[in-house]
Amino acid sequence: MSILTDLLTQPGVVAAGEYAYRGDRFSYRGALSEEHARMASIMCRATTMGANMEGAMFNSIHPGNGLHPPRGWLVRGPVHTVCVMANVFCLLDHTQGSVSHIVGLMRQNLGDVPHELI
Amino acid sequence: MAILDELMRLPGAMAAFEFRGSGELLEHRIAYPDRINPATLDLLAHMCSANMSIAAMQARGWEQVTAMSGFYPVQEFTLIGFDWSVVVSALRREQHKRVGQSNLPPFTGVVLANESADYEAAFALLEHPEPAA
Repeated sequence: MSILTDLLTQPGVVAAGEYAYRGDRFSYRGALSEEHARMASIMCRATTMGANMEGAMFNSIHPGNGLHPPRGWLVRGPVHTVCVMANVFCLLDHTQGSVSHIVGLMRQNLGDVPHELI
Repeated sequence: MAILDELMRLPGAMAAFEFRGSGELLEHRIAYPDRINPATLDLLAHMCSANMSIAAMQARGWEQVTAMSGFYPVQEFTLIGFDWSVVVSALRREQHKRVGQSNLPPFTGVVLANESADYEAAFALLEHPEPAA
């Protein structure tokens, strides 16, 4: 089972997608239109790239810290949480599901993705 | 600050801190001074402040374009690092904005060791910051 299919079976998951680090491709499943999924892919990729740049700068100033290289990030609103790990994003209704569970699942499947791909 | 002491009781808590919207570090607690110091937290606070602003812009735009709701206002931004995570909250600021106050409280954040991090517990504490009596 692919990580996208696996994520979609979890409680509260609205949609999940995957983007190429180069920015030229994306795929998704769930309750989003093609255009909105494309926009989500672009925003998630941009934030991931920014987080990696910040992590590298942070590490050059404070070497040996536990934040670099970043594995992912979360943005939590009143109802929805955007969960991103490596090049996979997941839109979760966190009133219906657990962020900790989704992060655990994503880390289990994506925690070893090589950082050099970015 | 009671909230910082409460955050330091979370599983895997390494540091807790407060910072201005512009990123300057204010109060802090550090469990492992050999691994995290105030200068580390100050740079981290600036990073988190910037990411919180970008996330708020994206969430606002996303809701307007898609007509979906529940993304804005952004309550927490979390960076999941290789061994540590940092969770920062803007919820107290949003609560002050909602009632029209112009003097906003600081952002609040906690650094957690990934292996024992409980994100739901961190969110719950940051979203209900009053310490138990």
